[in-house]
Amino acid sequence: MIRTTLALRACPGCVALVLAGGIASGCGGGSDGRPVLTFSGSAVGREAEILERQFDRFETAHPPWRVELRSTPDSADERRQLYVQWLNARAARPDVLQLDVIWTAEFAAAGWIRALDDFAPVVSDFFPGSIEADRWRGSLYALPWFVDVGMLYWRTDLMPQPPATFEALMQQADDVMQGEGLPFGFVWQGARYEGLVTVFLEHLGGFGGQIVDEHGEITVDSEEAVRALTYMRDAIWSRHVVPSAVLTWQEEQSRFAFQNGQAAFMRNWPYAHALMQDSRGSRVAGKFDISLMPAAAGGSPTAALGGSHLAINAYSAHANAAFDLIAFLTAPDQMLERARVAGQFPSRLSLYDTPALTEALGLAASSARRVIESARPRPVTPIYSELSDILQIRLHRALSQQQEPREALGEAASAMRAALTRAGLDGGTRRYD
Amino acid sequence: MPQRMSIAESREVRMAWLFAAPALLAIALVAAFPVLWTFWESLHRHDLRLPWLGRPFVGLSNYREAFTDARAWSAIAHTLFFTATTVSAELALGLALALGLNRPLRARGPLRAAALLPWAMPTVVAALIWRFMFESPGGSSWFVDPLAAWVPIVLADVWKMMPFVALLLLAGLQNIDHSMYEAAALDGAGPVRQFAFITLPLLRPAIAAAVVFRSLDAFRVFDVIYVMTGGGPGTATEPISLYAFTALFRDLRFGFGSALAMMVFFVSFFLALAWIRLLATPESVT
Repeated sequence: MIRTTLALRACPGCVALVLAGGIASGCGGGSDGRPVLTFSGSAVGREAEILERQFDRFETAHPPWRVELRSTPDSADERRQLYVQWLNARAARPDVLQLDVIWTAEFAAAGWIRALDDFAPVVSDFFPGSIEADRWRGSLYALPWFVDVGMLYWRTDLMPQPPATFEALMQQADDVMQGEGLPFGFVWQGARYEGLVTVFLEHLGGFGGQIVDEHGEITVDSEEAVRALTYMRDAIWSRHVVPSAVLTWQEEQSRFAFQNGQAAFMRNWPYAHALMQDSRGSRVAGKFDISLMPAAAGGSPTAALGGSHLAINAYSAHANAAFDLIAFLTAPDQMLERARVAGQFPSRLSLYDTPALTEALGLAASSARRVIESARPRPVTPIYSELSDILQIRLHRALSQQQEPREALGEAASAMRAALTRAGLDGGTRRYD
Repeated sequence: MPQRMSIAESREVRMAWLFAAPALLAIALVAAFPVLWTFWESLHRHDLRLPWLGRPFVGLSNYREAFTDARAWSAIAHTLFFTATTVSAELALGLALALGLNRPLRARGPLRAAALLPWAMPTVVAALIWRFMFESPGGSSWFVDPLAAWVPIVLADVWKMMPFVALLLLAGLQNIDHSMYEAAALDGAGPVRQFAFITLPLLRPAIAAAVVFRSLDAFRVFDVIYVMTGGGPGTATEPISLYAFTALFRDLRFGFGSALAMMVFFVSFFLALAWIRLLATPESVT
């Protein structure tokens, strides 16, 4: 792998050649002579189907363009690595990139995506937290396509209402395990990957802590953070409400456990809602609802803010058409269609006041909005991936009982501060206007 | 006519170089160039995320950071542990398998092919199979414990690579002249003595080859662990190649990542030299 990269770096031209060869229509135009825009992003299941439909409509509205979908790996880490290889080799394609919210600052700082200021998009309708993540050094680099928020899924057939506090969650989970014989109380994503950071962020907010404070200082070693991580660890090892296997689980493993009726609670993103309402694959269809994550005294319910954003490749030869495509895909109609077919939450505020969204999502738009309003962004910095890696390792060590939470978080905080200092970014982790 | 001979000889030498040139060029391009490039890269501060810093020459500072980095040291320790356990297990089991396959069996051909199957499987596929076998549907997991997580990793690698060792040793066994065993039997040596005084010494070159190949390969381990644990829990099973990969691809720190990659290269290189000196028979050295 390492050698491959070096070869790629050594010979960007070769890579461009290979890539051009790989895309049947290459640069210039397709087989029918129409110019081609390339879009790359996730195309799992229903997403590919919606995209093809929306591309057809875009082509009708914007002749002579033809849009080609280049699908990328499902795993976010692998998609990012692929993008890095393409963009570091200055490949002109894909023209439009689907970025995870946490990559925008990094890609903007690296000069890989184009500032959108020339196109002067209207951003007042987008969720402020999402737009904030799209800015780097005063310029806008991407537009929010859909938002992801961490939610508490709970079983309506096993309890009258969802727990408001972490202690109540533990108690209710325990009761259901004893009373109904469920093997698991609460399931979440605890593998050593980005998902663990979002789950931790939600517990952290619930206990009143933050990863980075308002001055841009790293605060993962606060007392609140120690309490949050201790709670997470004890839920696994001393209360036995969370199975220790979650430390190897990502989103899908926890969804399978919950939809097979094995767990009383699950923390997951909105995508799981639509899938689990389908009684052909789900044993809990009609028996669950969503809610805010609980909180402890001194904290407030917190959702991690995720989501996908659309940006233009800085080396694209078709920036104007690429922006037209982004504007089209982020328009209200397309967002509603995505909500209906893939269950993804729109990033436009105004849609949450329309009955169309409630109908499209199959859940009350007002409760979705309530979760989004509790959403907290992750630090916006070009070295986010490195900070996250540092934190993931220590969280995972504490949760697998290799380290005490206090020691793990202290180590994480000093390593994160050192990384920021080394990059010359201290105090600049979060940007405020 | 010594004069003419030497002209012919030197012409021959020139021709030889000419004929060898394409191969040498290929080696330079494929092997030497990437190593030198990585080395050059490792002497710079090169961070893709921070292009405004440029790409300044920083001497050995990336190496200094690596040498004082606890994660790098524990990654090297993990790699050595993985190498020692897998290579010794593969050697012991591979020898047993080779001895078994070397006997005059009826279905020797198909049996040998069957024994080689795991080796023919792509590593990622083998690692996934073993991961699924060790992932219980219940609430606990082997991969959550820093020590237990090694068990599936080592088993998967031994299962996959042992046939390769067996194949090398089987070739060695077939080179041993059978009459030596007959002579030993006549002198009253039992199977244990025959094994200790004939088989093992004569198998030494084959064992050396197997140990060199396997330990160099094991030292660069990446895929089995990437698939099975990703280096976790925490970094309890992280090998040095995986750490270098993280520094390069996740952190985009090309200078520091290249320094880690060079460390893998240096250790492998010296490991190879050391093994060859230690294990080579006197004849093959000269």
